[in-house]
Amino acid sequence: MKNFLSLAFCSALALAAVQGPARAADPIQIGVIANLTGSAVKTSVQMTRGVELAADAINAAGGIDGRPVKLIVEDSENRAQEALNAANKLYNVDKVPAAIMFGGSGLMIPVAELAKEKGRVLVNTSSSSPKLGNYPGTLFSILPLDDIVGKELGLLISDSGAKTAAIVVPNSTFGLGVAEAAAAAFEAKGGKIVKKVAFTEGQPDYRADIQPVVPAKPDVIITAGYGDDSRAMLKAARELGLTAKWYAAYPSILELENKGFVEGKLFGVDNGGYAQPAGKAVADKYGAKFNGTADLMAHVYYGYDALMVIAAAIKKAGSAEPAAIAKALPEVVSSYDGATGKIVWDARGQRVSPPIDVIEYKGGDFVTTATRN
Amino acid sequence: MLDFAIYCLTIIAVWSVLGLSLNIQFGLTGLVNFGQVLPFGLGAYAAALAAQAGLPWPAGAALGLVVAVAVSLLVLLPARRLSQDYWALITLGAGELFRLTALNAPSLGGADGLTVPRFADPHLALGAALALMAVAWLMSHRIAHSPFGRLLKVLREDEVLAATLGRNPVAYQRTVSIIAWAMAAAGGVLYAHIVGYVSPSSFTVTETFIVWTALILGGPGNNLGVVVGAAAVQLLSVSSRFVASWIDLPADVLANGRLALFGLVLVLMFLFRPQGLVPEKKEVRDAQRR
Repeated sequence: MKNFLSLAFCSALALAAVQGPARAADPIQIGVIANLTGSAVKTSVQMTRGVELAADAINAAGGIDGRPVKLIVEDSENRAQEALNAANKLYNVDKVPAAIMFGGSGLMIPVAELAKEKGRVLVNTSSSSPKLGNYPGTLFSILPLDDIVGKELGLLISDSGAKTAAIVVPNSTFGLGVAEAAAAAFEAKGGKIVKKVAFTEGQPDYRADIQPVVPAKPDVIITAGYGDDSRAMLKAARELGLTAKWYAAYPSILELENKGFVEGKLFGVDNGGYAQPAGKAVADKYGAKFNGTADLMAHVYYGYDALMVIAAAIKKAGSAEPAAIAKALPEVVSSYDGATGKIVWDARGQRVSPPIDVIEYKGGDFVTTATRN
Repeated sequence: MLDFAIYCLTIIAVWSVLGLSLNIQFGLTGLVNFGQVLPFGLGAYAAALAAQAGLPWPAGAALGLVVAVAVSLLVLLPARRLSQDYWALITLGAGELFRLTALNAPSLGGADGLTVPRFADPHLALGAALALMAVAWLMSHRIAHSPFGRLLKVLREDEVLAATLGRNPVAYQRTVSIIAWAMAAAGGVLYAHIVGYVSPSSFTVTETFIVWTALILGGPGNNLGVVVGAAAVQLLSVSSRFVASWIDLPADVLANGRLALFGLVLVLMFLFRPQGLVPEKKEVRDAQRR
């Protein structure tokens, strides 16, 4: 009993110490919301690791004006309700001024609504729904809008000399956004879309969906996707004997089912300066912390840049107040040279005209063959 | 912290309405509805569509209730000639049909979803949610303790017995579905206005099973049990986040551990207290005595 009492006393003391007034060396808390369980886990974990790398870098350099960054990572379970639970905890209990989020628009928009109500900042690293532009001053995107990457993809296809294309994309904001923009750019250059397939995500097999593409005999297939869905999609195409070339937005996030099938036949555009020095440096840090870069995906760079621009905004504003961060963010990104290249925002805080890498899959790896912008 | 408590209470109240609705169907009548998210989603989408059309919220609420009742009758058509095991399959399928339709129909917002006007004040949202829960509770209570409710329990235990008493099981099941689905739709309308956004990803099978978990955890057949169950599910989910923040492990390991803990608590509950936290009371009545 005596032990218990002294323990209780010590805990009370500790609590009192923790809840003392804010000091210069108090950590700045930043929230992270990601699908750490449920589906699309791998990409979320990658984004979270990118944020951790950025936090390590900031803290190793002495923090922001002497204050270290402390991350509070919450799981969204890839469910809107849990994402809201997580965001409510971060904004209301932990009182973070800003949160970095990975998740589809179905999760991102409810959280953006909450952030707007609370007057906090939300940095999007994954969703590219046009609806995200409705939250200027609240939501800022590190990932570029789909229509820009899609347009570059369409131009790349017409440059390759292809005359006909089929679209095979997941029926999501991302898949449809890329497909529409790519098709528009391709058709404007005289190309022809011969078949359009938007499959419902989460199925084990897509042969029935992709079958109609075979008789259309397209020169190329426009695609986008990630995770198990892209693996199942490519498997179905291989089993159906499709021989067309693949043109993907962000090809490096596709899960390849059979490397031989796509060797020399998979092309695409990736936004990024991943191949530039800033990106390379992040990849090196990743390799050092997580035992090599074999599983490194592009999401690491987006997570990294997300925290880096928040930190730069806090430093510039001289304050970790959400309103000050929101005001400083557009000012600091214009001079920020990130792991994903130069960041240009429109008036709504949505990323436009990112650097574009032209990618080809050859020799069992993604190779950057050209850069644009 | 207070804001967080208000938010949690609001969500518990909305989930309780869903749970109470499921309790009338399963707890009282024995109808295994694996598509409980369907009336909820219909209500939420009706609220969103009405808002998109510039109509005031009561129009959305009315639309939600009407559509949910109509769809319940539609789902009942094939179900009424089948035993209750098939009821589970039909409702599960109907729920997914709705979600996939919403995902693929651009007029319903597609994958992008629809924006709904939110409650400006969280206190107002809490008040509305509690009020709806009170109404749902009162309705459930009245039903459970009426002769109608007692016959539902007979139906639950033995449909043939109910039929031999001269009652038509299908008619009773229909009435129950209409009431319960309208209740869940009202919850959906409210939820849409609380969250401010609806999209197909909010109405998956998982949500249905969260409601089921709350019902089974709390104790089927008992209104208080349902609310306790809904509170337990939400609080377990939220409190484990705080516990996780005290442990220094990689975030993805913690996230998985949190869900594993959640599952473990449920398994232990079902092993050691299968009747639920607040079990249904056995009613003893003497027919001879007035």
